[in-house]
Amino acid sequence: MPREGLGAFVLRTFLWLPLCLGAWYLVAGFHGLLAGWLAGPLAGAFSPGLVTGVELQGRELEFVTRLTTRTASGETGVLVLEVNPLIYTYGLAFFLALMLAARPRFGSIVAGAVALLPFQAWGIAFDLLVQVGVRLGPDVAAQARIGGWEHEAIALGYQLGTLIVPPIVPVLLWAGLNRAFLEHVLRSRGP
Amino acid sequence: MIRFVVVFIVVTVALFAAELTPPVQRMLVAPWTSELARLSADLVTLFDPHVVASDKVLRSTRNGFAVSIEAGCNGIEASLILIAAIVAFPAPWLHRIAGISVGLVAVQALNIVRVVSLFYLGQWSLAAFEWAHLYVWQALIMLDALIVWLVWLRRLPPTKPALQPHAA
Repeated sequence: MPREGLGAFVLRTFLWLPLCLGAWYLVAGFHGLLAGWLAGPLAGAFSPGLVTGVELQGRELEFVTRLTTRTASGETGVLVLEVNPLIYTYGLAFFLALMLAARPRFGSIVAGAVALLPFQAWGIAFDLLVQVGVRLGPDVAAQARIGGWEHEAIALGYQLGTLIVPPIVPVLLWAGLNRAFLEHVLRSRGP
Repeated sequence: MIRFVVVFIVVTVALFAAELTPPVQRMLVAPWTSELARLSADLVTLFDPHVVASDKVLRSTRNGFAVSIEAGCNGIEASLILIAAIVAFPAPWLHRIAGISVGLVAVQALNIVRVVSLFYLGQWSLAAFEWAHLYVWQALIMLDALIVWLVWLRRLPPTKPALQPHAA
């Protein structure tokens, strides 16, 4: 844990961030798939059995659902939903930059990266649920058995999962894993 | 630490839920977002006269490219997170108010840099715009809020040692 100033930590974070963003982007598809596997059961809490399979297409995730949809020509098919997982997983790069700047043990970095996954899955799950419960209309929402208060809960969960959780959780995990650094900042306090 | 995390999460979710309500959107979020577009346009016209702001949209009169400042790009969420972090940490209220005031200026100042940079980045490359918009600037704004919070922590008055009973 560094004992030098806050400025050195900030400088190191700025230096690590572009490298971590590049490294994250290289593996973003596979990393997103890990979060996607967790997102299926999470979405199932609102609509049991909603997701029957997850596939990676480039860096996008395709979720095969139990829902059906009818085309204009009257044909019926399985509803497949697309999600860009990167919107919810970029926090991994942010977390890595903060951790590498604080120079912790390697095990802490791995533990933090794993701990991020359920929160990233939250964002992906609510992205799916917003598509099913809101954007694709009442017929699809009825098939998914989403209605009433669940619309409001899904809307709040989606907004939190998009705007709040991705940037906050990496910082909270970093703070939890680097308490000695925060204590050092506190010890040096004073005007 | 646990108390801080619990209070921080509760305050963040409460502020965020309040932000989503129609009255707050109408009275605070929408006017601020329009003001942000106007401030960005005022700044840009210092060196580029071909830019106008209309409501929450910043538009180039030269090539028609425009950016609309939406939720997540108006700096309000980062501001709420910073407020929650300052409120959750035990400190005198005067220091909290000072930290929130200076912190909000710091977050919103960087957010104007974000809006202006994205406006020009989008005219150069839409792929670069997407990348910077969705991933890079999200992290930078949160890093800004974290730095403000850490600086605020360091500027708090030292805690007084616990009173010792006097020997008789």
